[in-house]
Amino acid sequence: MNPVLRTEGLRKAFGGIVVSDNVNLSIAAGEILGLIGPNGAGKTSLFNLISGVLRPDAGSIFLNGERIDSAPLYKRARMGIARTWQNMLLFRTMTVLDNLLVGPRDYPGESVMRLAFGRGALRVAEAAMRDRAMGILGRMGLEQTASSLVVDLPFGQQKLIGLARTLMNDGPLLLLDEPMAGVEGAAYETMQRVVRQEAEAGRAVCVVEHNVSFIRDLCSRAVFMANGKILQDGTVEELIASDILTELYFGV
Amino acid sequence: MDYLVTIAVLIAIYTILATSYNLVIGYGGLSTVAHPIFFAIGAYTTGLLAVHVPFIPPLGNVVLGMAAAVVASVLLAGSALRVSGDYLLIASLGFQLGLLQLLKNLEFTGGPGGLSAIPSTIVGPMRGPIFLAICGAAALACVFAVRAIVNGPYGRAISAMRDEELAFTALGRNAMSMKIAIFAIGCGMAGGAGGLYAYYFQYLSPDQFDVLASAAILTMVVLGGMGTAFGPVVGAILLLAIPQAITFLQLPPSIMAPTQGIIFTVLVLLFLYLRPSGILGGKA
Repeated sequence: MNPVLRTEGLRKAFGGIVVSDNVNLSIAAGEILGLIGPNGAGKTSLFNLISGVLRPDAGSIFLNGERIDSAPLYKRARMGIARTWQNMLLFRTMTVLDNLLVGPRDYPGESVMRLAFGRGALRVAEAAMRDRAMGILGRMGLEQTASSLVVDLPFGQQKLIGLARTLMNDGPLLLLDEPMAGVEGAAYETMQRVVRQEAEAGRAVCVVEHNVSFIRDLCSRAVFMANGKILQDGTVEELIASDILTELYFGV
Repeated sequence: MDYLVTIAVLIAIYTILATSYNLVIGYGGLSTVAHPIFFAIGAYTTGLLAVHVPFIPPLGNVVLGMAAAVVASVLLAGSALRVSGDYLLIASLGFQLGLLQLLKNLEFTGGPGGLSAIPSTIVGPMRGPIFLAICGAAALACVFAVRAIVNGPYGRAISAMRDEELAFTALGRNAMSMKIAIFAIGCGMAGGAGGLYAYYFQYLSPDQFDVLASAAILTMVVLGGMGTAFGPVVGAILLLAIPQAITFLQLPPSIMAPTQGIIFTVLVLLFLYLRPSGILGGKA
């Protein structure tokens, strides 16, 4: 089966610092890939290259076989690349529901023309979006927070809202940047369950995470990065068994 | 009576200016000071067409004035926003000063003496009230148009863009084109206000569109409440009515002249201290 995402010889440098050095990566539909490595390894930069925040110096990116590396950030999101952020970047003056409603790929409220001449169609689309958003919040047990401001929620729930907003984009690829950092208890369980459900529904998921047990519970495959290079690509068991991880986390 | 009508017409025109500026800076978060120059573009375009091209109906001239302001604003925003949002402030200031110099030095705009003898179009004793009705209706239309834009799905997108532009763009929203659209709508309204101004006063002077005018419109928005639908209306009424009220005190001119500036400054300082979100804004 063709991978959902494939990168070929991806390279990006800032001056002398190479954050992405000949990265060849592929993720299949339904797969949850763990991306691990020390701070500064280039994990988030790789997400930025794939989602279009950064332009690569060399190499190419394919989404479902289509080359996308010249498309700007917003177009790649419309093509179906959905991502979360390490520091969430929630819309802090807005309610939980409004945060989610901005997320669909084909958000109908962006055109002034439609605002002026297509109000009927706009209302129908809004109602459908609202149902979809409440459905996602329901899966996380957060329906009752819909009309609260996001900043009033506890941290773990804010993390979940970051994921929920991203899930409004129903595209084939989901990139999660440290979804578990600072998350404990019920939110942890929910995060794990929802990510698994998304993969089961056929999305390709890539998770950057320092929490090794989260990776072990969720991922079949893991990639280890350091200094912009992929050093190992295999099963999670192989990675845990190898010296690389021990060295990273225990300094042995 | 004529005097009061003129004040009311001015209030209506400045309501349009303050409301549209509020859309751009208060809701859109686009830092620009050049709002009066789009007012000027509309006013001069309408005035020049009225003087030189008599076969275009007045409404057509006002619409063309708006169109000229929209085109100029798209050119400015399209280039300045490409670099970074902050450059819009500098670019807008340069744009305003440069264009003002052009208006002052070109012969066909009347140079520093201004453009005069714009045809009256409406004559007779009802001229004032008719103009007031037209300007008042236009002001109301602008207030409610801006309210419609900032509520609902488009407004939600605007606030999201202002909160976190990167996350907003990464959700598939084209922030750049939205900013240009907001800027163009706001500046188009200012251009329309300019057209109305040209027809009512029949005379335009380049000095009335300088940075002091920028400060006046900004003060209206801040006083009334930035990012509120009706705040700019309150601001426009207050800032135009207060100076007129002071003239009734019959103070000697040597005191009168600086009094207005002092009162504006004091008002702005008071509001920044006591009520930074304006009269109609929520408690900050």
